[in-house]
Amino acid sequence: MEFEGPSQSFVDEIIIAENVHKWFGEFEALRGVDLRVKPGEVIVILGPSGSGKSTFIRCLNRLEEHQEGRIIMDGIELSHDIRNIQEVRREVGMVFQQFNLFPHLTVLENITLAPINVRKWTRDHAEELAMKWLTRVGIPEQAHKYPGQLSGGQQQRVAMARTLTMQPKILLFDEPTSALDPEMIKEVLDVMRDLARSGYTIIAVTHEMGFAREVADRIIFMDAGKIVEENTPENFYNNPKEERTKLFLNQILQH
Amino acid sequence: MTQTPAAPSPEPQAMPLWRRLLGYIFDVRVLGVLGQMVFIVLVVLGVRTIGSNFADNAQRLGESQFICRDGNFSYRCAYDFMESESGFDIADTMIDHTNTDPYWKSFQVGVLNTLKVAIFGVILTTLLGTVMGIARLSNNWLISKIALWYVELMRNTPLLIQIFFIYFGVILTAPELNDALQPLGLPMFISRRGLNLPSLEFTSSASIWIAFLVLAAIQFQVTWVMLGRREERTGQASNRLQTGLIAFFLIAGLGWYVSSAVSDSQGLLVTKASRVRELGDLEKIMLQRTGANHLDDLARMPEEEVEDAAFQICAIEESASETNLTRQLSKLNVPYQIRRYERPDKATDSYASEKCEMFVASKTILAAERSTLESPSSHLILSVKEVPVVWSLPKREGLNLVGGSRMRPEFTALLLALVLFYGSNLAEIVRAGILAISKGQNEAARALGLTEGQRLQLIVLPQALRVIIPPGIGVALSLAKDTSLGIAIGFPDMYAVSYTTMNQSGRVLQLFVLIMLVYMLISLAFSVLLNWYNEKIKLVER
Repeated sequence: MEFEGPSQSFVDEIIIAENVHKWFGEFEALRGVDLRVKPGEVIVILGPSGSGKSTFIRCLNRLEEHQEGRIIMDGIELSHDIRNIQEVRREVGMVFQQFNLFPHLTVLENITLAPINVRKWTRDHAEELAMKWLTRVGIPEQAHKYPGQLSGGQQQRVAMARTLTMQPKILLFDEPTSALDPEMIKEVLDVMRDLARSGYTIIAVTHEMGFAREVADRIIFMDAGKIVEENTPENFYNNPKEERTKLFLNQILQH
Repeated sequence: MTQTPAAPSPEPQAMPLWRRLLGYIFDVRVLGVLGQMVFIVLVVLGVRTIGSNFADNAQRLGESQFICRDGNFSYRCAYDFMESESGFDIADTMIDHTNTDPYWKSFQVGVLNTLKVAIFGVILTTLLGTVMGIARLSNNWLISKIALWYVELMRNTPLLIQIFFIYFGVILTAPELNDALQPLGLPMFISRRGLNLPSLEFTSSASIWIAFLVLAAIQFQVTWVMLGRREERTGQASNRLQTGLIAFFLIAGLGWYVSSAVSDSQGLLVTKASRVRELGDLEKIMLQRTGANHLDDLARMPEEEVEDAAFQICAIEESASETNLTRQLSKLNVPYQIRRYERPDKATDSYASEKCEMFVASKTILAAERSTLESPSSHLILSVKEVPVVWSLPKREGLNLVGGSRMRPEFTALLLALVLFYGSNLAEIVRAGILAISKGQNEAARALGLTEGQRLQLIVLPQALRVIIPPGIGVALSLAKDTSLGIAIGFPDMYAVSYTTMNQSGRVLQLFVLIMLVYMLISLAFSVLLNWYNEKIKLVER
């Protein structure tokens, strides 16, 4: 499979997060997260549950609002200005753990809904591109079915096609394989691997060690709302700097 | 009973008979059948008890209940009394009704009133409930709190009390008719006698125009779809809205012209001696009467003089004929005065005694009325040009309000109370429906860049509807049935009219059977419609 790459970005750092803080009531979920990402980089975020990794990537497209610090996506700062938020969301695609396909629309309608209503494309144009992506994720024959009629792996691939048809520059993956049966994980990871190689800027929260080792440019380890360690995959697994990281790796690699 | 195998056991032979029987009895399949049989027996007993009570009561009420017109006794004549004169007036009627009409006509008036409240009620409740349900989930503190208070206040007080409160506490405390409120200078008046609103009045040529409108609407739909398809195929914007609308208005305009030209139902009764042969003659006659050179000069003459010279015209109350004529007289700019009468014969009396010089109505009425005059041949029926629909605005005339349509206080209070009460019920159902949609759906919509409006319209409401519709049907049915509470404030719905009929005729059983049948028909119609819709929007699952 060979994928068409994302459109060119003209900034040096496509994602800039500076000292990001986020509270849920009293609980401080993010305690000063800094991250800079260059166009085309693939970042994998690891960390124990409750460490704030999902919260952090959800701040990047404003599904959660950060209360302190700055987030600049492709040169647009996420502020309270609704136009900025909409613009960022157009450029940033997200794939969820629970797929979140729209059950009342067919696969094709799921994919073309946003291109037609947000990008204002004609239906023909949107459907053409949608079919192209469906073919590339390997399920063009499912276009006229409803999500409820597909398997989990197929649904997740539809969700990816839906995100990619919007032609985003940045992809956020929020544990995309965690809700899948083991035999379906591979089909989703294959797609992710190919996307990583075709030049998309990707931030992925995932527990797939193989994926992280193989395609990540950097691995970020988070704990208790902070980035504990940032390292190359090679060093991260073989030679971690921090004690906390070693403890985590011991726990997950033991079984 | 169906053949039922014994409960599985390793050695059936070794078990004593009573244990085997016990095995049968505790078999879920046997239990199911037994349960149904018990239920059927209970239902049959219940129906028999009610039926024999009914028969006993009918017996006790005596043969008079079932007297036929020929004096014989037969159950088949149970409803013959409906043919006799009702003798009571009904305040709020959609069709012509007088106290000389038979009971069935009164009943018909009641059914129409019930339907009027039910249909308007369901439509308005749907709007209010949806808006309030969405408002309760709004992020805006003020909006959500207003919706919350509305819902809690309405849901937690009895409907009957609300009806009384709105009737006696709100509507009947409005000012008297002669100082009716006119909010913001709009053509509407609020007074103790109800709500006077602008209305459209249809003349007899309206049907032709409506046919054209239907044609125009079909055209619009076809244009919209065809151009839309082409747009999607070629990607070229074709301005389908504009094209469709222009064609729509062209067809509608043509229809207006055709229906005005074709129709010839409106008439004006005048004496031959009056020398009026068409409406244009009125100007000449007015100039002669007043001695003015031009109609504009009338404005400079003393008011009493103009009033004396004004044409006196008889009309039937609340008729479209009057609105149609006065529109044209206003264009001619001749002064006129309208005298309104409840019934054609009263207007004719007035015309015959020369209280008015002209009588405006439809040609059929005028032809019938002319024949009752002393010398019909000395009167002419002139054609009056007619437009299919006239816009009638309420306006003050002396101490009274004329024109437009009036919502009576009882109707207004009942409708308002039902809509407010059931709107709050529906709001909770709508809220539940929206909350039933998982957070993930909203997040996916936002992450794709849909605006909040698009998210609500394309993702949330289509999915919420399938949760909302089934309990929503219940709200619609309750509302339709609770229109019967109108009797408390004297709104003449089906139940109120039947109640009066019962008191006068003593035919309690027959009327209750009739009432229940009609309510059942209304409810069934509502639920068939809504269930059909529900079926249509159901989700496809594996």
